Amino acid sequence: MFFDSDLFLSALRALTPILLAALGGALCERAGVFNIGLEGMMLMGCFTAVATSWFTGSPWLGVLAAALAAAAYSLILAVGAVTLKGDAVVLGVAMNLLAVGLTSFLLRTVFGVQGTFDDPDLVGLPEIAGFSPLTWLSWAAVGVAAVLLSRHAWGLRLRGVGEAPDAAATLGVSPVKYKYGAVLASGVLCGLAGAQLALGNVTLFSENMTAGRGWIAVVAVMLGRALPLGVLLAALLFGLAEAAGFRLQGLGLPQQATDAAPYVVTLIALFLTTAKRRRKTGAVA
Amino acid sequence: MPRRSRSRSLRFAALAAGAALAMTGCNAAAKKDDSGGTGAKGAKDFTLVTPDPVGQNEFMKLAVTGVKAAAKAHGGGSPKVFQSSDTASQQQNLQAAVDAAPDVVVLVGFEFADAVAQQAEAHPKQQFLMVDACTKKTYDNVSCGVFREHEGVFLAGAEAGLLSESGKVGAVDVLDTPQFRRYSDPFAAGAKHVAKKTRTATRFVGGQSPFDDSARAKEQAGSLIAKGTDHIMAAAAAGNYGVFEAAKAKGAFAYGVDVNQCASAPGTVVDNVVKRTDVAVEKGIGHILDGDNGKTVSYGLKEGGITLTGLEDDVASSKCVIAKHEDVLKKVGGLRDEIVSGKLKVDDPAAA
Repeated sequence: MFFDSDLFLSALRALTPILLAALGGALCERAGVFNIGLEGMMLMGCFTAVATSWFTGSPWLGVLAAALAAAAYSLILAVGAVTLKGDAVVLGVAMNLLAVGLTSFLLRTVFGVQGTFDDPDLVGLPEIAGFSPLTWLSWAAVGVAAVLLSRHAWGLRLRGVGEAPDAAATLGVSPVKYKYGAVLASGVLCGLAGAQLALGNVTLFSENMTAGRGWIAVVAVMLGRALPLGVLLAALLFGLAEAAGFRLQGLGLPQQATDAAPYVVTLIALFLTTAKRRRKTGAVA
Repeated sequence: MPRRSRSRSLRFAALAAGAALAMTGCNAAAKKDDSGGTGAKGAKDFTLVTPDPVGQNEFMKLAVTGVKAAAKAHGGGSPKVFQSSDTASQQQNLQAAVDAAPDVVVLVGFEFADAVAQQAEAHPKQQFLMVDACTKKTYDNVSCGVFREHEGVFLAGAEAGLLSESGKVGAVDVLDTPQFRRYSDPFAAGAKHVAKKTRTATRFVGGQSPFDDSARAKEQAGSLIAKGTDHIMAAAAAGNYGVFEAAKAKGAFAYGVDVNQCASAPGTVVDNVVKRTDVAVEKGIGHILDGDNGKTVSYGLKEGGITLTGLEDDVASSKCVIAKHEDVLKKVGGLRDEIVSGKLKVDDPAAA
């Protein structure tokens, strides 16, 4: 009864936004930009998706607009951290805070409501074979990112830029260009993550609706060691932990305990992966 | 499209332990000449300070209605309404209201609890009325109006018990704390009261932002529906819309809180547990003008502070499912009368 198809469907729904954002984070990580602004970019995507779908009646345009808006928003990080050489952590935190304030402000000015915009006439994404089209896209994106990073010259250069920017520059690879590319791509992916959350998982916008998913994505990047497949596994772990947490409540476990499920899973996973890594390298921290 | 309100009163619940303390610590009424900054006889003036813009916010609109009714009843002109948009403007508006020294400064929401305590100490002659929240300490010049939400939730549960076909009802609540359980435990009790065999369950949204996470709330509601639950009390703040979506997708039914949420999902939302801020504001002002200040008054079904959309006169135009079930409304009306008369007592999960 505990492990049935509902559990996995629920886990997959929780997975998609986190996976898309985490893939974006992984690209940045590989390019040497520590991106913790995923949460904010995602929230911008949520709002843009809902606003565009509402005014045009097309969720597809909503998805497109969300990707563009979040990419534009990611320029803050690109310009700040790459061109102006500012601290990416400070910029990321600022982007997250700004996104909460900006979307709340826009919610008031554009829709004249507070807290939540929700209307029976707001069109969400249709399902294709049981899943949101963005869910399929997210899995495709994992494959594309994996091939690009490990098998393609573009990926090789991106990694080179991240690991040894001076060496890359000597070889005629522009670190600035590749870092901009990675940050903008993370913007697009986070925009899609936001669109999935606001037009797929639910069909509404509410203030701060990302509710920490961007941070989970940041952790997934670290846990997955910025490898697309690793990130997929980490995000899947979180999705399963969350879905299992809901189930455990049904079995009578208190909410405070089930809330801890994703964090317990993270700790265990971190412990196991670092232990394995240490055995392999023989290094002692 | 009223939004913020649920989130407001639910958030408040977290702070309401202070209100409960305040109730036990009522002070003797202050002298009558403490009441009024202007000291003028006859026409009274009142100022309402809201934590958010009133706009389409039904919860705040009701507060405005209440303060207007009070002004009319006490021969005052049109009351002033200061609408805030953030923490800074809340402080400024409260200060401006106090500077003008009206007879009563009315504040709605927990946001003002700390600021009012400061102002009340600094201006002992100014009378304050707080609605849906209270200061942690009691002051002679701060009166509070709080609500007995559990009574309304019990009636909503009774409706669910009568309407449920699967015999399973449930609630999606924000957090597992005694104050929030006011929105889930009485729902189960109400359903069992009218249909003994009803099976009940509660899910809590939890997580990093339990008040904002509609996707999580939707999953929680979905997990209830997957187990056969067909009537769900939605007390998940912004997550309510997620609950409505889940119910709508699977043909289940839901119940809203604070204001009429039926328009969010017509045909899915059965009824709402409504908080009548206007009643608390109007009566609260009355108590202060009678010299009965410094106390916390609780409003429930008896005082008309808590009601169901279905029990109001305009139920036909409410877009609520319950409008089509007159027989159920009749029974629920009977239960309300029993609660009002004291014959039926609803357990308060938040009672210490």
